[in-house]
Amino acid sequence: MATQGLQTSTTQPIAERRRLFQQILRYRWGYVFVLPWILVYLAFQLYPLLLSFYLTFFTYSFVNPDDLRFVGVGNWLRGLADPLFWLSLFNILYNQTIFIVMKTGLGLATALLLKQVLRAGSLFRTIYFTPVVTSVIVLMLIGEYLVGPTGPIQSQLINWGVFEQPAFWKSSFWLPMPIIALINSWKWFGISTVILLAGLLAIDSQLYESASLDGANVWQKFLFITIPQLRPQLFFLLVVDVINGLQMFSEVYALFDLYGGNHNQALTPVLYLYAQAFDRSNMGYASTLGLTLAAIIAFITVLQFRFINRGNE
Amino acid sequence: MSAPTTAAHQPKPIRLRAAKIIPYALLCVGALIVIYPFFYMVMNSIKPGTEILHSPNALPSHITFSGYVGVFERLDILQLFRNSLVLAGWITILNTFLSALCAYALAKIPFPGREKLFSLMLTTMMIPSVLFLIPTYVIMYNLGWVNTFRALIIPQAVAVYNIFLLRQFMAGIPDELVESARLDGASDLSIFTKLILPLIRPALVTVAILTFMGSWNDFLGPLLYLNRPDLWTVQLGLIQFQSSVPGENAQEIWAAITMITLPPIVMYFFLQDQFIQAFANVRFK
Repeated sequence: MATQGLQTSTTQPIAERRRLFQQILRYRWGYVFVLPWILVYLAFQLYPLLLSFYLTFFTYSFVNPDDLRFVGVGNWLRGLADPLFWLSLFNILYNQTIFIVMKTGLGLATALLLKQVLRAGSLFRTIYFTPVVTSVIVLMLIGEYLVGPTGPIQSQLINWGVFEQPAFWKSSFWLPMPIIALINSWKWFGISTVILLAGLLAIDSQLYESASLDGANVWQKFLFITIPQLRPQLFFLLVVDVINGLQMFSEVYALFDLYGGNHNQALTPVLYLYAQAFDRSNMGYASTLGLTLAAIIAFITVLQFRFINRGNE
Repeated sequence: MSAPTTAAHQPKPIRLRAAKIIPYALLCVGALIVIYPFFYMVMNSIKPGTEILHSPNALPSHITFSGYVGVFERLDILQLFRNSLVLAGWITILNTFLSALCAYALAKIPFPGREKLFSLMLTTMMIPSVLFLIPTYVIMYNLGWVNTFRALIIPQAVAVYNIFLLRQFMAGIPDELVESARLDGASDLSIFTKLILPLIRPALVTVAILTFMGSWNDFLGPLLYLNRPDLWTVQLGLIQFQSSVPGENAQEIWAAITMITLPPIVMYFFLQDQFIQAFANVRFK
């Protein structure tokens, strides 16, 4: 018994290695088929990631490519002490809080309404989804005119006496971020509608029936059945919105200068990074800002997963 | 006995009818709010420029197409469309094909190391793309790829999100089907092109639409890499054009916006189910 065990244990690695080799040979086309992704990953993800870390320790500009100076953690310290970077983080969090609440609220409201009118629902769904397929740049340019001082919304508000005089929202400090959030909610709520409606239709109607028998009112059913049942969809939307939203760029680039206006009221982290890289030619510093923002987004995403997992237990 | 019951029942149909009408009414208001900006856009594109300055929100006193004429005179809009089409077209074709190929390997070829590779892919999906912005630009600059479409096409030739969607779809195809084709001596490439691709057509359409829409609407990528006007996409051209038009010719801006907006919307109306499915296809668990 003992000798037999010894024998197999010495022959096994060789046999196993041979089998592995045969498997690799037999399924060699698998490696060929995944090769495009591996090449793109190595060249445009892994290498840039390493290069990004490398660049954070240098000052580097395209104007003088030979002037590559080592600055150690200088770029990181600069980021920590840079009021514009902190302001850009504040701006984007301010914007996203409003955006996510408005977009999810609108999406949920329209999904609940669409569930009531199943027959004509597809026409409304088609209409609500139109802004989603339209480009951000186009919608920002239209939105700028609509909410502008001479646009229809402000003229109507002045007619009704809500406003005394037109508001020049772009140059104010507090208004740009909520207004961009408003335009963006109008653009994107159709996605929430579609995803939440699919979720609503999947809820077992018996849950509502038995709750009705127990005397639950509409509000209680919404709060204790609908919302918990929609949790996977709401969570998915939240995670995706945070990852995309914190990287906002085109919206503010289309409407403001590279520094987000005279008070930097619309400066977002990615816009600031762009300005540092291509206006100031500080590649090393821009790289540091990119890493920092990515770390912040990753941290928030992990927090969200923690939170939802704890809720599931 | 019968009188009170009818009296008690009578209000109900009215309340029921109201309960049915209210959602419709609200949805109609919502639809008007969604449509109005598009209406405003088309309206201003056929309105004389001076009227846009003095009464921007009123209907046009007379219809003029001078805005459209002006756009064709002062903006090479056909070139912009051609650039956008070439760019989005190449990215869509390459990305759909290569992602499907990769998904096939991950779903149906049990090569050693497959699971590890797939979990690596899922991890990369969580990395925010802002991280790659600056270093990728440095790489492209050193390769001399700035001001070429390659700089945008090659990094987007394959995408993990698409691989993930297609792999999930292929998981529904029985392994025995692939195995028996393999025993018949079919190569993996011919199994993929002759057996798998026809079976996953709906998923391919979904992936192609998402990819095309993403690159057609992309702004930051072209802004970084396409600095020469003859390479500009519609989005870049629009931004540049918008800041160059004097106020009294404002109808030209609106005409340009309208021309750039309508083709994707028309395409969307024809393929709307596929568009909406593309977004609803997400799995949650």
